[in-house]
Amino acid sequence: MPYTTTISIFVSLCLLVTAYFWGVKRAIATKRSQTALSTQVKFHSLPGFHGAYVAIWCAIPSLVLFVAWQTLRPNFLPQWLAQDMAGLVLLISAGILGLFFAQKRIASRFKARHKVETAFSLVMLLSSLVAVFTTFGVVVSLVFETMRFFSKVSVSEFLFGLHWSPQIALRADQVASSGSFGAVSIFAGTLLITAIAMLIAVPIGLFSAIYMSEYATPKFRTWAKPLLEILAGIPTVVYGFFAALTIAPFMRNWGFELGLEISSESAMAAGLVMGVMIIPFVSSLSDDVINAVPQTLRDGSAALGATKSETIRLVLLPAALPGIVSSVLLATSRAIGETMIVVMAAGLAANLTANPFQAVTTVTVQILTLLVGDQEFDSPKTLAAFALGFVLFLLTLGLNILALKIVNKYREKYD
Amino acid sequence: MKKSIKLFTIAAITLPLLSSIAIARDQIQIVGSSTVFPFSSIVAEKFGKSTDFKTPVVESTGTGGGMKLFCAGIGERFPDIANASRRIKPKEIENCAANGIDPVEIKVGFDGIVLANASNAAVFSLTKRQIYMALAAKVPTATGELVDNPYVKWSDIDPSLPALKIEVLGPPPTSGTRDAFVEIAMEGGAKTFESLVAIRKTNKNKFKAIAHSIREDGAYIEAGENDNLIVQKLKTNHNALGIFGFSFLDQNRAQIKGAIIDGAVPNFENIADGSYGISRSLYYYVKKQHVDTIAGLREFTEEFLSEKAMGEDGYLLDKGLIPLAEEALAKSVAAANNLTPVNLSAE
Amino acid sequence: MIDKMSRHTKKRYQAERRFKIYGLLAIMFALGFLGLMLSTIALRAIPAFTQTYIQLTVEFSAKILDVDNKRDVKQIARADFQKIIREALYAEFPAANKRQDKKHLKKLVSSEAGYHLSRDLLAAETTDLNFIGTSAAIWVKSSDDVDSFIKDFISREVDEINRRLNDQQIGWIDSLIADGKLETRFNWDFFKFADSRSPEDAGIRGAVMGSLFTLAITLMLSFPLGVFAAIYLEEYAKPGRITDFIGVNINNLAAIPSIVFGLLGLALFLNIFGMSRSSPLVGGLVLSLMTLPTVIITTRAALKSVPPSIREAALGIGASKMQTILHHVLPLAMPGALTGAIIGMARALGETAPLLMIGMVAFIADIPTNINDPATVLPVQIYIWADSPERAFESKMSAAILVLLFFLIVMNGLAVLLRRKYERRW
Repeated sequence: MPYTTTISIFVSLCLLVTAYFWGVKRAIATKRSQTALSTQVKFHSLPGFHGAYVAIWCAIPSLVLFVAWQTLRPNFLPQWLAQDMAGLVLLISAGILGLFFAQKRIASRFKARHKVETAFSLVMLLSSLVAVFTTFGVVVSLVFETMRFFSKVSVSEFLFGLHWSPQIALRADQVASSGSFGAVSIFAGTLLITAIAMLIAVPIGLFSAIYMSEYATPKFRTWAKPLLEILAGIPTVVYGFFAALTIAPFMRNWGFELGLEISSESAMAAGLVMGVMIIPFVSSLSDDVINAVPQTLRDGSAALGATKSETIRLVLLPAALPGIVSSVLLATSRAIGETMIVVMAAGLAANLTANPFQAVTTVTVQILTLLVGDQEFDSPKTLAAFALGFVLFLLTLGLNILALKIVNKYREKYD
Repeated sequence: MKKSIKLFTIAAITLPLLSSIAIARDQIQIVGSSTVFPFSSIVAEKFGKSTDFKTPVVESTGTGGGMKLFCAGIGERFPDIANASRRIKPKEIENCAANGIDPVEIKVGFDGIVLANASNAAVFSLTKRQIYMALAAKVPTATGELVDNPYVKWSDIDPSLPALKIEVLGPPPTSGTRDAFVEIAMEGGAKTFESLVAIRKTNKNKFKAIAHSIREDGAYIEAGENDNLIVQKLKTNHNALGIFGFSFLDQNRAQIKGAIIDGAVPNFENIADGSYGISRSLYYYVKKQHVDTIAGLREFTEEFLSEKAMGEDGYLLDKGLIPLAEEALAKSVAAANNLTPVNLSAE
Repeated sequence: MIDKMSRHTKKRYQAERRFKIYGLLAIMFALGFLGLMLSTIALRAIPAFTQTYIQLTVEFSAKILDVDNKRDVKQIARADFQKIIREALYAEFPAANKRQDKKHLKKLVSSEAGYHLSRDLLAAETTDLNFIGTSAAIWVKSSDDVDSFIKDFISREVDEINRRLNDQQIGWIDSLIADGKLETRFNWDFFKFADSRSPEDAGIRGAVMGSLFTLAITLMLSFPLGVFAAIYLEEYAKPGRITDFIGVNINNLAAIPSIVFGLLGLALFLNIFGMSRSSPLVGGLVLSLMTLPTVIITTRAALKSVPPSIREAALGIGASKMQTILHHVLPLAMPGALTGAIIGMARALGETAPLLMIGMVAFIADIPTNINDPATVLPVQIYIWADSPERAFESKMSAAILVLLFFLIVMNGLAVLLRRKYERRW
């Protein structure tokens, strides 16, 4: 029954809308009948709140029941209860029960608004917890395999070893040989490529944002902003091909002319293209926050005789700082997480170097290749992917905490 | 207020989506090697078009990942077939057995691994020994002492080779193609050195560790698993050689050419009869327990080995699969028909 | 004194001009890069939009189609239509009578031509079977090699041994062209079909539908959830340890490599909830977990920049907290939230790695019709084609990228409209 999902969505939608209007109608009807009796009756809440109240009572029981049913179904429920139809019936009946319960409570004194507001704030809270649960899930899915990895490779070798070469598989028939899993060089590679990318993206993105929000005509801005955003959406495979087949040979030839030794896979080519890709992360978000700085600040600064650029540098940027920092952080995150461009343009060789014209590799690239390679699944080769992910997780966590501290320190609120 | 209701409604209807309804699967699910993927998917396509069954879904997960999924259990949630560019490992059979699965091994053909460069660049004619000398991390000197690979140019290895810098684009250590290349070409080359053979006799693992290590000083460039990208890079860089599957050479013959290895040109006939030495076997493993419950599984295995696919004019051969010899094919067909579970100790 | 001041002013104005020029240069650089990428892609994509066809006079002989003479549609549907096309080719070039010649000759037409011929003829259940025994001139698709030759990807100058088509085959093609029996047409099939291993038959429809289903789920989940979470963190939560903890968590999620979300999806949705592999539903769920941080971070930044006076004014005239947020604060923060959604969705639209773990990196020849059907998405399709040995897939890949960009532009256009509606400055 492939359409059951569609049906259940449709039914729950209908039910919710019905519940809302039922509530509104009941509230109005109650009000009318009561006003007919005496003119002194005042309803505590608007009819809309009553409607929302009924709708919430309709949604929550059916949702809870349905999720529980779905979770239990594969393993614990008897056959007759596990059928698709059973789920649908449960969904509907719970909704209708809730609806009847709620609509009975509609009365002039009934504080529907308070209930709805509480429910609303609860929904907000739950939504923000989704992110926390996701983090929890990520940690859980990484931590066990990481521990298995560290039972085979020592922590200090992994964290401080300089040599990354998972080329020799540890197999049952190969006791004596071992790969080396020193992760320093790949973390250094990540740092190098990210730094190059940010050197491109931050100035260009920030200047674009400033130009768009302060200098450009509204028409130019309406066009330029979404155009720039396209850059973020071009599939990374395309950037990868571009970096590997256009930028890298170009740089190689150019280096040859100057007498420089530039390998065909280089951190520069990958970082450059990646920088372009994340420009919109900086430009669009910064544009939004700069634009949102109150006009009074601009007017005030202009009245004191500052030029526009002085206003921007001395007034607008400090005011928009928290937003700009979060946009830069987001762009950095994106750069750290990028794989395809690096695989194609910077290669996979783990060199420990600060020379941007050499081949390097990044953590995410290693994770991807380790996970999808034609390998045994529980050799340290594959497990190393989880360990890398986990260490990266901790590292970025540290960075984020640092950033939060900085933002809190310099944050200024204007109005 | 209305807006908030709208928001609520949207949120409330989307949440049930979270717990969607798992449905009965009515098509075959195939996972596994990216090397077998193009062959497996064309069989799937033809199978879907020529029968009443739905077209099987073929995933490209890598052999190891595929085996893990395949061996995870019996039932609709688990795949029916695992493609592999190497033989199943004893440990994987153990995992399968622990979940009550008998994998049926069906060998389908070979994939040649070629060393190629741009078609207007120098012609390479190499022996495995020379490949080993060019790419190994450590090579024995004349006295049998192991030193870090000193060769910079091909002509340093043998004056008859072009005086070009050694620059080889190849797959990373995680790749199955790399494993196969190392096991056949590098190990084959290593066996030609007496000092290494001596090590092999006393300590097999040490020998393997030496023979399987590829140099990391920049002469061998790990270029990812995208073979098309390597082909493109070769076109712009005439000094470089690339290592990849034969079908990419076959499809791009106008731009690149294969190096001659041990006197044999990498072409269809030479790989099929074994005179071109670097090739590996391709397999797929069928879950015996699913044959009766998943519709079309038996028919699919028949299609894979049919005359239409594997015959002299078969569509698989058109796509670059190198077929089995008659005897081996008969064995595969028998395995498919009788569903004999894999037995690694046989052969 | 005045002189000094005017010099100083001049300097300041110069700095002003320089600053403005930097801004313009930055935008021009980014837009120039975009233009360069787009034009490269578009140029490469052009060949994918045409397809070469060959005219053949086929004879629907009953001997091949209706072996036992029962006139049964189902039986005939299984007949070897490809053979009919082959016979027509042999009849067109009677000189090619050796086995080897015939082998080369039949490679001129698409190996899927017979399948499409039978589908066209037997589309309805009540098909008129009168065509059996007659003959007709029909156009069939050429093979990808012929198509590449017509599009000048295979050059005559190359040595015969290194060419995908030999001299004899090129001779046949030349004579077909001379007889007017070969033409190129717009390749509608590219928009009608799902993936195929034959480049001439491969289309984008399956991936487009998969992407639509996946993105719909991603948008429906990540946008409201993200906005709600941002509202909670900015408007409800008291600033302090816990709020900071959640905030850091969210920022950190944005930096997690996308493939890890795939691992999480595999464990959570497939193994615990038992959802089906390769389905857009699971894909959408995984991608929404991935885009959620982007939406939250941008919406928070937008909410932060709404001046407190707006809230105070609303509260001052008696609005409740919820009313203040929904009627006044949120609409003002909407442009920022939309930017976040667009950037997040753009990323989700282009993502492959997390989908690998949940089985969406796959060859799927059927077009998905609902969120539970096995499906693939556009970037995966691009990736698969980029990884295929056949040359003809290269232009298909670029064409698929164009289609993806088209969706992106539509999405951005929508955001522009919405932004225009909400944006204002104080």
